[in-house]
Amino acid sequence: MNDYTEAEVQRALAEDLGIAEQGISVVRAGAGLVLCGEVESPHRRDEIVRLVHERFPGIEITADIGVTRAAAPTEAEELA
Amino acid sequence: MIRIAAVGDVHIDRDVLGRFRPALEELPDRADVLLLAGDLTRHGTEAEAKCVATEFGGLGVPVIAVLGNHDHHCDEVPGVLAALTDAGITVLEGDSIVVDVDGTRLGVAGVKGFGGGFAGRCASEFGEPEMKAFVRTTGTVAERLGAALRDLDCDVRVALTHYAPVPDTLAGEPLEIYPFLGSYLLGQAIDSAPTDLAVHGHAHHGSERGRTPGGVRVRNVAHPVIKQAYSVFNLAREHVSPSAASGI
Repeated sequence: MNDYTEAEVQRALAEDLGIAEQGISVVRAGAGLVLCGEVESPHRRDEIVRLVHERFPGIEITADIGVTRAAAPTEAEELA
Repeated sequence: MIRIAAVGDVHIDRDVLGRFRPALEELPDRADVLLLAGDLTRHGTEAEAKCVATEFGGLGVPVIAVLGNHDHHCDEVPGVLAALTDAGITVLEGDSIVVDVDGTRLGVAGVKGFGGGFAGRCASEFGEPEMKAFVRTTGTVAERLGAALRDLDCDVRVALTHYAPVPDTLAGEPLEIYPFLGSYLLGQAIDSAPTDLAVHGHAHHGSERGRTPGGVRVRNVAHPVIKQAYSVFNLAREHVSPSAASGI
């Protein structure tokens, strides 16, 4: 990993058509990278981790990526 | 009262099919219309748009959308539009629609929008052709949004964009990327008409609530921000817009 790795990972996540995620933060932590954000399915989270391992072998990856909840709202906002 | 449901950045593909549907089945009991604030697809293929049509079509209430930057990525916009409109979804880009809700006319004007940044820290139409084209693009779509809003003949007026019209709803995003998330020109367009509510998406790490300088309420409904299938805003029928005749 070097000073440009964060940028390369961030661009790979956006530009790889199997991923196309712009909402994932890539933060350097010690010798590894922490990936943070939310995606729409567990499959997409797994694909992100797989792609980063594949393209950037040897870098320790911590994925703190959630799947956005899609339940009906419990209340409305009143805009009187 | 008009009840407006809204969500953006749902990024639908086959792997997401059905996730929103249980909440959407309840939508007609909670809202009169659903607004989709762009980035409906993952990267803008016709196949993904058909998934959007399956997920958000046939709801029993009007569904009104704008496209987002993701919906343009694969250069299949005509196919994306066809898939959505075939499912009865209205897609706005510089135009508007009026929906009758129990005798109250709800007007929605929409554009995707574009970037450029916010007052005091924005890009200018100056320098290289690429830079001028970038800023000119935003200026053109903002003018179309303003004209569409001003031309609406309705009782309640809503602006729908993908990109943000104010920086307030970007709070949580890195400051460095604000110019790629929205433009003050969209806010100025919204303030040029007596707009009651502005809804946008695009900023996944942003925040929900803001106001234009003219006092119009702005809501970021990006799915990762609202963390539910959609938000619902109840607007009073007799609402008087704070920006009406403000001259901004």
